[in-house]
Amino acid sequence: MLDESLVRDIIAQSRAAGADFAELYVERLKRRSIRVLNGEAKEATSGLEYGAGIRLFYGTEIAYGYTNDLTSEGLHELTATLTAARGQIGQVDVKGRGGVDFRKAAARGLHDPEIRFETHPKQYRLERLREADAAARVAPEIRQVDASLLEREQETLVANSEGAWVKDRRIRTRLNVNAVAQDGPELQTGIAWEGLSVGLELFDHYAPTALGREAGEQAMRNLRAKPAPAGTMPVVIGNAFGGVIFHEAVGHLLETTFVAKKASVLSDRLGEQVAGGAVTYIDDGTEPHAWGSSEFDDEGTPTERTVLIESGVLKSYMVDRWGAMRTGYRPTGSGRRQDYTFAPTSRMRNTFIAAGPKSVEQLFEGIAFGLYAKAFRGGQVKPGSGEYNFGVQEAYVIRHGRIEEPVRGAMLLGKGPDTLKRVVAVAGDLALGAGMCGSLSGSIPAAVGQPHVLVSELVVGGKTDADHARQYVGGQTS
Amino acid sequence: MTVDQAKTYVLARAGERGVDAEVVGQQGRELTARAHAGRIEQLTQAVRGGLGVRVIVSGRTGYAYTEELSATALDWMLDEAVENAALQQSSDGFLPAASALGRTDLVGERLKAPLEAKVAAALGFEGTLREDKRVKQVMIAAYTEREGEVAVGSTRGADGAFRRGVAGIGGSVVMQEGDSLKQGWDMKWVTTLQDLDPGRTALDFTERTGRLLGAQPLKTGRYSAYFEPKPFIHLLSFFWLMWSGKMVMEGKSRLAGRIGERIAAEGVTLVDDPTIPGGLGSVPFDFEGTPARPLILVENGVLRSFLHNSETARALKTESTGHALRPYKGILDVAPTNLALRPGEGVSMQEGVLVTEVVGVHAGADPVSGEFSVQGLGLWVEDGKVSHPVENFAVAGDFLTLLNDVTGLGDTIEWEFGMMGGAFGAPLVAVASLSFAGT
Repeated sequence: MLDESLVRDIIAQSRAAGADFAELYVERLKRRSIRVLNGEAKEATSGLEYGAGIRLFYGTEIAYGYTNDLTSEGLHELTATLTAARGQIGQVDVKGRGGVDFRKAAARGLHDPEIRFETHPKQYRLERLREADAAARVAPEIRQVDASLLEREQETLVANSEGAWVKDRRIRTRLNVNAVAQDGPELQTGIAWEGLSVGLELFDHYAPTALGREAGEQAMRNLRAKPAPAGTMPVVIGNAFGGVIFHEAVGHLLETTFVAKKASVLSDRLGEQVAGGAVTYIDDGTEPHAWGSSEFDDEGTPTERTVLIESGVLKSYMVDRWGAMRTGYRPTGSGRRQDYTFAPTSRMRNTFIAAGPKSVEQLFEGIAFGLYAKAFRGGQVKPGSGEYNFGVQEAYVIRHGRIEEPVRGAMLLGKGPDTLKRVVAVAGDLALGAGMCGSLSGSIPAAVGQPHVLVSELVVGGKTDADHARQYVGGQTS
Repeated sequence: MTVDQAKTYVLARAGERGVDAEVVGQQGRELTARAHAGRIEQLTQAVRGGLGVRVIVSGRTGYAYTEELSATALDWMLDEAVENAALQQSSDGFLPAASALGRTDLVGERLKAPLEAKVAAALGFEGTLREDKRVKQVMIAAYTEREGEVAVGSTRGADGAFRRGVAGIGGSVVMQEGDSLKQGWDMKWVTTLQDLDPGRTALDFTERTGRLLGAQPLKTGRYSAYFEPKPFIHLLSFFWLMWSGKMVMEGKSRLAGRIGERIAAEGVTLVDDPTIPGGLGSVPFDFEGTPARPLILVENGVLRSFLHNSETARALKTESTGHALRPYKGILDVAPTNLALRPGEGVSMQEGVLVTEVVGVHAGADPVSGEFSVQGLGLWVEDGKVSHPVENFAVAGDFLTLLNDVTGLGDTIEWEFGMMGGAFGAPLVAVASLSFAGT
């Protein structure tokens, strides 16, 4: 992607101007997307993104710059700007002048697609999206169906002054279906999506018709559903994307980005019991073809499977280069960034609660009144206070251990450390779901996952005037 | 090639192929200085640019973009756009006729200062934050600025450019009192450096976050809600989509077909004004080259208009309102510029929740159904004054019902800078009643 001697020159220039460590990240991304609205190809676009980011360390202080001008002049000028801003021009580091010998490493193709982009014409995608559209029309009330496919092929190079020269390739494909059901003035939505580090075989893993039907049926259920109850109650959280709760409630709190500054309520807690004994929490960047997998992170470190919490005990944080320097913890291959416009920080990859011993049915037993949260939107957390939330897209009331009427989505919220201790049962049906995670280094693909879990108490942000809510306030608790 | 040369090249190639094309070229610059413990922990300086094209081939629309500005990459972009257009069945696509618009510089010398002064602003902000004894950690304290040029050109005559920029100071702070922890996020944006006051912004920030320390649970119930400008703006920055001509065109807005009807309380007037001097979202024209002008969306509770680009306007048999959005990577959409709820005569609070922040709006607000259920933070109000902070609750409702139940509006508005380059403004908003879920 870039000439080796140019990369060596940039690193030498940085080191000669006083940087302790220099890193060049080069990225070339091809992106294609097609959106089908009501069966019609509506918006199709293709893009080529190409740029470089240069990161210099002075101790743990960082100078970062990025540009789309990848000519020798462009990169040297950016480097000069970065080093000049430190005011240390002329402070020559002799070690840096001789250049570096790169140890070359490249992706072995662990997540390479079976069916590459070029295999099928664009028309093929259009047909698959139309299948999703047709399948979503489960009732006359389904008025709008929006199906889209996003394909990304990213090639990266990370080279640094320690001699790393790492090339990686990440190919990801994602399918979204959004259905709108209408009854008079009322509109309700249903959403379904899946994404993997694969090519067009995504359609073999997840049939467009299945996603379409899911979105359509969800929109219809929401159209007929009453508002969710309001208040604090036991909640059974569905598997796969249900893992978004722990992504928010605990995942972000274990990133060195926050931990190193003690801006996480879980800083300095290694070895402590931070969760119920039922909880084992893992961040795995190596799972073949998972949405958040890659062979190397965006700092050139090989990814790994990191056990964060084992049977409730905190075992590890997620550590990037800067975090390792600041905390002394071992790097875990967790340095990630949206693209070359962001310096990397410690981020999640595929993060999930490990399967437990219970059956899904057992989780519902003994709940007099509660909520079954089955499908989800995103969430958010404040690592410094642990306050988090996540949105529920599809939910049901639980009465006397039975799943009863559907209710419209509501926000669930709590404080992360409290919630962790209230995880009282974990089922065995672990699955992953694809999400986009936004934080300091931008928006990145990250999978979340879990089996069904039971949390003994969560705030459910429904409506206070719903019938079943009155019934609840009437005194039924588990 | 430069972005300008690339734009000329693409329009010429499109002309040779007999393809109608509209090109958006952008080039911008970013500077961010992040302070920590009295030092600059990260300094980011960058330049970025790219080019995006929309083509119409026999009435079919296709898009493509590139950040690599070689002839090969530009040819690839045009080929892809033409191929993408061929996927479309309907052939009613068009490019609006436009004209020469010249170059407008909205930045001038407004963001000009030595790097040292900008770095000092970040350090000053961080230092003032740390002076508050309740501050446990400063997670982020940053000065940041972004400026860039947007150039629009088309084979139908559009030709113009504008340069705009903003600077901001803010970040995230964790505060503690006893066992109570609160984390605030805030960013103060301006278009003129002289309007930045790092010390005062830091004091505002610790005041806003610190007043929530020692919060108590809130009992589940229906209460009057008083939204401070920030949380109301946060909701508005999602629910404005109900006024998007694109959402209306696609059958995803509950406001469709209701122009001229009363949809909100008498006092509610919502205006988008791209011409505000020094406005965070001000522009001379939109991404299709349509000149920008003020637009009333809701007037004294009555729905007057939606936001339109040329495509949504034609579909709904009206004129473009000059709200096309198409950054080089994007596809044609609409977006507000400076969208604000007009102030009222002031609010006297009685009893209820003064909502100071809403969290998780992207996950808890649905602009299609109009419903929201979001995490809230705030202060309990009793006997007309603030009693104590409250936490761990959700506030739920329906945005149109909320607008109908507005009982009062504050007499001044605050502005926030949104993600897509637009700004949102609102006063304090008093709402008769909303559902609060807590303990």
